[in-house]
Amino acid sequence: MTVQDVLTPGAGEPAAPGPAAGARGAWRRLRTRPSAVVAGAVLAALILAAIAAPLLTAIAGQDPYTYHDELVDSASGGAPKGSFGGVSGEHWLGVEPGTGRDLFARLVYGARVSLLVAAGATVLQVVIGVSVGLAAALGSRWADQILSRVTDVMVALPMLVLAIALTTVVPDDFPRPLLLVLVMGALNWGGTSRVVRAQTLTLRRLDFVAAARLGGSGPLRVVRRELLPSLAAPVITYAAILLPSNIVLEASLSFLGIGVKPPTPSWGQMLSTATTWFRADPMYVLLPSGLLFVTVLAFTVLGDAVRTALDPREASRLRVGTRKEKTRD
Amino acid sequence: MTDRFPFPGVRFAAKRLLGAVLVLLVLSAVLYALFYLVPGDPAQLACGERCNPAQVAQVREQLGLDEPAYAQYLHFLQGVFAGRDYSAGTSLQHCAAPCLGLSHQNDQQVTTLIVEGLPATASLAFGAMVVWLTLGVGTGLLSALRRGGATERVLTVLTLAGTGTPVFILGLLLLMAVCAYLQWLPFPSYVPLSQDPEQWAWNMLLPWLTLGLFESAKYARLTRSSTLEVLAEDHIRTFRAYGVSERAVVARHALRGALPPVIALSALDLGSMMGGAMLTEQLFGLPGLGRLLIDSVRSVDLPVVVGVVLVIGTAVVLANAVADVLYALADRRVVLT
Amino acid sequence: MRERRLISQRATVTAVSLALLGGLAACSGPKDNAANSGEGGGKPAKGGKLTVLNSEAQSDFDPARLYTSGGGNVPSLVFRTLTTRNRAAGAAGTKVVPDLATDLGTPSKNATVWTYTLKEGLKFEDGSAITSTDIKYGVERSFAAELSGGAPYLRDWLIGGDTYQGPYESGKGKKTLDSIETPDERTIVFKLKKPVGDFPYLATQTQFAPVPKDKDTGTKYEEHPVSSGPYKVVKNTNDGERLQLERNPHWSEKADDQRKAYADTVDVRSGLDPAVINQRLSTSSGDDASAVTTDTNLGPAELAQIGQDKALKSRVGVGHFGYTNYLAFNPKVKPFDKPEVRQAISYAIGRSSVINAVGGSSLAEPATTFLPNQKAFGHTPYNHFPAGKNGNPAKAKEVLAKAGYKSGLTVTLTHSTDEGEMGPKVASAVQQSLAKAGITVKLKGLEGNAYNEKRWAAADAPGFFLSRWGADWPAGYPFLAPIFDGRQIVKDGANFNNAQLNDPAINKEFDEIHELTDLNAAAERWGALDQKIGEQALTVPLYHPVYQRLVGKDIKNVVISDWTGVLDISQVAVK
Repeated sequence: MTVQDVLTPGAGEPAAPGPAAGARGAWRRLRTRPSAVVAGAVLAALILAAIAAPLLTAIAGQDPYTYHDELVDSASGGAPKGSFGGVSGEHWLGVEPGTGRDLFARLVYGARVSLLVAAGATVLQVVIGVSVGLAAALGSRWADQILSRVTDVMVALPMLVLAIALTTVVPDDFPRPLLLVLVMGALNWGGTSRVVRAQTLTLRRLDFVAAARLGGSGPLRVVRRELLPSLAAPVITYAAILLPSNIVLEASLSFLGIGVKPPTPSWGQMLSTATTWFRADPMYVLLPSGLLFVTVLAFTVLGDAVRTALDPREASRLRVGTRKEKTRD
Repeated sequence: MTDRFPFPGVRFAAKRLLGAVLVLLVLSAVLYALFYLVPGDPAQLACGERCNPAQVAQVREQLGLDEPAYAQYLHFLQGVFAGRDYSAGTSLQHCAAPCLGLSHQNDQQVTTLIVEGLPATASLAFGAMVVWLTLGVGTGLLSALRRGGATERVLTVLTLAGTGTPVFILGLLLLMAVCAYLQWLPFPSYVPLSQDPEQWAWNMLLPWLTLGLFESAKYARLTRSSTLEVLAEDHIRTFRAYGVSERAVVARHALRGALPPVIALSALDLGSMMGGAMLTEQLFGLPGLGRLLIDSVRSVDLPVVVGVVLVIGTAVVLANAVADVLYALADRRVVLT
Repeated sequence: MRERRLISQRATVTAVSLALLGGLAACSGPKDNAANSGEGGGKPAKGGKLTVLNSEAQSDFDPARLYTSGGGNVPSLVFRTLTTRNRAAGAAGTKVVPDLATDLGTPSKNATVWTYTLKEGLKFEDGSAITSTDIKYGVERSFAAELSGGAPYLRDWLIGGDTYQGPYESGKGKKTLDSIETPDERTIVFKLKKPVGDFPYLATQTQFAPVPKDKDTGTKYEEHPVSSGPYKVVKNTNDGERLQLERNPHWSEKADDQRKAYADTVDVRSGLDPAVINQRLSTSSGDDASAVTTDTNLGPAELAQIGQDKALKSRVGVGHFGYTNYLAFNPKVKPFDKPEVRQAISYAIGRSSVINAVGGSSLAEPATTFLPNQKAFGHTPYNHFPAGKNGNPAKAKEVLAKAGYKSGLTVTLTHSTDEGEMGPKVASAVQQSLAKAGITVKLKGLEGNAYNEKRWAAADAPGFFLSRWGADWPAGYPFLAPIFDGRQIVKDGANFNNAQLNDPAINKEFDEIHELTDLNAAAERWGALDQKIGEQALTVPLYHPVYQRLVGKDIKNVVISDWTGVLDISQVAVK
């Protein structure tokens, strides 16, 4: 075991004994935490808004692409006319400087890209990470060595540079959001793989797995029936950490100009042009960065809650630790 | 575990070193292959847009870009292990091993560029570490001890704010607030430590804060969870039962147990930051490795890209090893493998 | 026109602030040129330290490698050249004047031989005399592959220039260039393949700066080039990221009537984010009060913010530089082979939304001519396909219908994905205005380097793309010839003649005008030629950029010429 394994959240501790330690119990515990409920509600609203983007913009009577020259002041750098970045009955959140495009429409459409790319990348990272981690833990010594070193490289690489290189190598007509998902997924699975490898190594020694093996189950069957269910909790926990960091990563890539292609909006891309405007038109910066912040915050809070809910042992163990807790619950 | 080696440390180090060299070799080959595919003709870019074909051909030959990719890579390896000579016009320029080649863009030796970039990057990384340790560990401890209270909630939200705000926004907001609105600090412009330590510190303050703040959330979470873990252990409960004061329990025992992972993570982060925190360096105009890397990626300056990435790789591998050792020293449960 | 630095460091620039409107230099319009020189501050005086805050590092500081317009800004503090740009504000600044030479050169009868005589008493920073052989050597070494980067004209024009590979051992063939003769220490003669009336303009470039052969250190020379100008390099840190200059004691004011050199020392600090530079200049605290920038202009957001702040506004200088941003066609690609399609797009274009997308009317002036709107270029106003501010979709539809596109058509517009002049916002603006005329535009964005390579690709340039062209010097030849002269079509490299226009009559006109040594007469004919080529609708001129430059609060004697569009650093005073 290396430090990396210890530091990767959830990797150092042995998993909850036995498969599927009560999903229903976890759900109940989750529901009773107000912070989790609020975070969940915020996220649900965001996801709904993203799905319903065409509908919402239709209600507003706007779309994210149309230029409104008449709404910006050409003589002063193209700043939106009117206060608060050109907020009006038609343009609920104002318009974009220079182009006069509707900000509300761009934000909800941008949510689609940001959330979709982050979710897709997370799924891919988890799939690759679980496969590699399992193969390393269950394969031969050599396989373990090679896979672990590859994992080290993946963790060590400067992501941004490789992402820039990869995105420029790929032909232009390749769909950008998919490319982002692939690049982020292919480059950032090292953490998951470490968690899974460490967990599997621990699990392998546990009785129920050994029993299954003695009972004549083949390795694939053991993986499917015994290991994967037990890995679910730590993997979900880790994915909950990955997701918000993927949202920030997408924003950073877009910020560097290698995200989705304009005019398709994404939060990061809006931010990349917005940063210079924050004194002249604060709304333009605050809206995408605020949304980004709230989303990441909500995902993190929810992820934390899910983690505690999935691992009641940890929760109870922690509860003993401080005096105040004794009187609560 | 049976270990026939008399000194497990040596064996560990040898294994790590061998692994690291292999990893770096593979990494450099992959980068060569990858950047060979990136659009943009390095010879045309080095020569300038208005160079005519004959001149571009001349430059291509001079940079050795007329050779096939594998030959270029072999030359690169030759440079790393044995050094190479380059024409500097009036004389031959010897690039001693480990020679990472010459930049296509400006004929500087890559090793020189890296050495020039290192002080700024190191300044940023170490200073930021101080910030994230202070802020992260402090917050983490506080929130572990005041669990469930209002303080914890506020602190948690604050640290989350650090991770939730991309570093480029965080830095820009700080920059504008502190330098433009309040005018507490002048706009940072890098002054080398060797030149004027006081100016160096003043100018680095904001980059340190930005990067430190951004990273501290992670540390707060780590500190909090490992403190709680330690506090839940049996011997702590025993101390408590014996009536040792809470403050002493925390200071003497809990903290000691909680710090090793924090220190280890710091070593790792330092390692990866040797490649430069790209966005932070860019925002504050720090002439470090991260900016060098981004610029050279953009100008398809392959030797510089490979060189910097190799340096980052080395730093990370080293940091990993150091972290493992530190961790093993602090926590006997971990065995070096 | 130099775009290399722009390309290579675009990442840096785009990342934090958008719309670096061509950070190189700037563009022209004869009107309100910035000469808010030292109002209230009294006369400029010698002394003090001038700080320069730049975004691009001066990583090329070798006179052979620099691609400058008129000798550059920081470089011209250290390098004197045979001729130089007139250091005056506005249109007067587009004149070429003698520098090291006594006059603009004596042409032979057909302008194929140019002879220059050096002024007396010229010295390098070490006190040794500057001779004609130093200038010859400076030109020669710019042919070495190790020192590539300069403008292509010397290679194209000097006899033997196409095969000469420089004076170094690494180059093949002869080590000297026989078409440059130095009959005595003060005379230098250039022999050209063809008549060139523009030679005095070319002689402003840093390749014409003297380099003493015994001090040449090849690629290392840029660390400490031997100064012929008012300042010498004391320290060059991190490959031009910081340059510290001090007075060159051997430079004499008497032998240099152009550079004022008020400040005692100059400290050039680069690698800064453009937004930070402007913020520092506007705050003007400490050293920043006596600071200027030579490569950063105010972006749209900064303009919006400065808005009504009178004190700040008085510190903004307006600069113009010969530059045109345009839509380019490649008629080899269908349907752009049809003149009607090109004309319809010319009619349909809504320039005001394009201009808003790059920062509005303070940062761009609508363009209907390919030549920049400056007298020096011979600008002759024309508007063959009037589109008004917002386009004329009705007329466009009519033209399209005539060509058989009754139900509109679909075309692809190629653009850069880097934010800025050729970026996605401009492309979308074009898309929207053409849509009104029934032209559906599909956008194809390419990453910066790929885009530039594709844009000038000889074989497979896109049919329709965003482009721009800047002036190497304020005259018609370097602006028009690379784009429209059929002999300059390049088959296997960067080809700027996108339209592949090879019209014998136009080629002949190029040759005839280029023979003229009367630059005013030439300008008039360049303007007429531009107007004539414009009829073919091979480009749709969009706008000429305008540059707004902020200076620190203690800066006096602000001079912004139409040649460079940037504040002339050799003229400013801090006291």
